Amino acid sequence: MANHSQFGFQDASSPIMEELVEFHDHALMVALAICSLVLYLLALMLMEKLSSNTVDAQEVELVWTILPAIVLILLALPSLQILYMMDEIDEPDLTLKAIGHQWYWTYEYTDFKDLVFDSYMIPTTELPLGHFRLLEVDHRVIIPMESPIRIIVTASDVLHSWAIPTLGVKTDAIPGRLNQTSFITTRPGIFYGQCSEICGANHSYMPIVVESTPLTHFESWSSLLSS
Amino acid sequence: QSFKLLGFLDVKSVPCARESVLYGSLGSLVVGLGHFLATSKVRRSCDFAVGGFICTMLGYWFYCRYNLAQHRIRQRMLKEGMRNKILFEGSSLDPERKQTGNERSNS
Repeated sequence: MANHSQFGFQDASSPIMEELVEFHDHALMVALAICSLVLYLLALMLMEKLSSNTVDAQEVELVWTILPAIVLILLALPSLQILYMMDEIDEPDLTLKAIGHQWYWTYEYTDFKDLVFDSYMIPTTELPLGHFRLLEVDHRVIIPMESPIRIIVTASDVLHSWAIPTLGVKTDAIPGRLNQTSFITTRPGIFYGQCSEICGANHSYMPIVVESTPLTHFESWSSLLSS
Repeated sequence: QSFKLLGFLDVKSVPCARESVLYGSLGSLVVGLGHFLATSKVRRSCDFAVGGFICTMLGYWFYCRYNLAQHRIRQRMLKEGMRNKILFEGSSLDPERKQTGNERSNS
């Protein structure tokens, strides 16, 4: 989860999010180069009288056509690479469904046994000491770590969105439509997210918590729940 | 504590950023000063200094990020290899066993 007054990304917990963070750093470096150039040109213009000689030259026309094209290529190539990487579906080990309601999530694990449970936010008045306000839920989504997971997201009433920043996942939950996304968690842990599509009065009070555990713990949890 | 250049690039937490900016500054100084010493033209030397800064900074950035990406891929392959070795050692799926089997059949 985000720390107090955190401005940047959370630490990545999936390979896709690692790539997204890398691309973001790359884009910021390109932005720094452009800003430096613009600042310098601004300073030049402020120090000199304006004339039409500079901007009428053929050479400057060439420069301010080719340079933006190069910048666009520098940004587009890694961006497209990540876009196609996100669309790869690699034979998932587990498929689970997330259904958005007003104002809670329902999760279904129907691969092997019919496991269905609701996930409500724990109200602040009932929150144990040391737990995170507006982020904790009564039933977490437990998944095995380092396994490709497919998640199918939909909603029963209005638009919602299933999002977990540290995994680089954000998928809209649309009534009457099934949206699919997949991810792999690179490490065990508890990952927090919140509903990311305005859905009514309690939109801010339907968080998502994913707990990534080793496979043996996941198996004992699922057999406990199904019994 | 973070140090953000122009208010948005955190040079302390972004890998390769600090070195890129420092090498860029050095490149800018070398190119700008060199041009001035050669031509004694201040305005043109400043243009070259800014160009040198951008080119050196971006050049080192791409070089450093490429090396970092290769390092990360090698790290992932190593991690995968170590896990597979632990999982399959001694079993019929052990790749080392298959390799020694092939060597024996070749000899």
